[in-house]
Amino acid sequence: MNEKSQYSVMLFKAVSYVLKAEKILKKENLPHKLIPVPKNISSDCGICLRFDPALQNKIEAALLNKVEVEEIRALRD
Amino acid sequence: MSKTKIVNARGLSCPQPVILAKQAIETNEQVKVIVDNETALENVKRLGTKQGCDVQVEKKNDGTYEINLTRKAGAIVTKEEFVPSCDATPAASGPFVIVISADTMGRGNDELGNVLIRAFLHTVCQQKEKPAVMIFYNTGVKLTVQGSEVLEDLKQLESEGVQLLVCGTCLNYFEIKDKIAAGTVSNMYDIVETMSRAGRLLVP
Repeated sequence: MNEKSQYSVMLFKAVSYVLKAEKILKKENLPHKLIPVPKNISSDCGICLRFDPALQNKIEAALLNKVEVEEIRALRD
Repeated sequence: MSKTKIVNARGLSCPQPVILAKQAIETNEQVKVIVDNETALENVKRLGTKQGCDVQVEKKNDGTYEINLTRKAGAIVTKEEFVPSCDATPAASGPFVIVISADTMGRGNDELGNVLIRAFLHTVCQQKEKPAVMIFYNTGVKLTVQGSEVLEDLKQLESEGVQLLVCGTCLNYFEIKDKIAAGTVSNMYDIVETMSRAGRLLVP
């Protein structure tokens, strides 16, 4: 998932939410990557999940009612 | 109103811009110095203030700065030597080395530390200036084996020519030597030798 391409990031309110979401996605075998929140979104030292936009529906469904997602943004390298 | 002397110091590195600016302000009331880096900007600004000038800076869209120096009435231009603080570019002759001494970054909370080291490695991957060598030891070696969340980043770094040295004693201790998936198994001789000749050694 490091190729120069389109990708999406999922932002959460707190680091603990990211970790919880990550555990769920790992269990569901949904590829994702934990990365620092891109600087153009926020200069805070935040963490978010990066994923392939094609998986957005599946990822959202997996997290539904389990982890509160703040925002999803489509980005490009 | 006197004419403004323009000093084009683009492309010049320290201390050239400040020397040219100083020569110009000694013989002109108004000088416009054009520079293209922040070191030059700061040095020319300091020079202006020191010479009793009014200093105005305009940042241009092309990344250059126009520094307008106007000698204040009655200001006496000093002839004394002005020593610009040129970036002391370290005479780093050796390679840039990053040492990953744990599978965490910082001390305190390991869960958080692991998040941080993953974010760190991802960010190293995206930096223009990559290290020449990365050394992994103690729990740091766990990042290089199958199942590691940062394997993709490490493999990318390797493919871009970064040498990954992984401590064999450590792999052995954790009984994961057969699971190494990025980098090469190394030893204390190589590790000490690499650290000793490093121009810059970074330990997150």
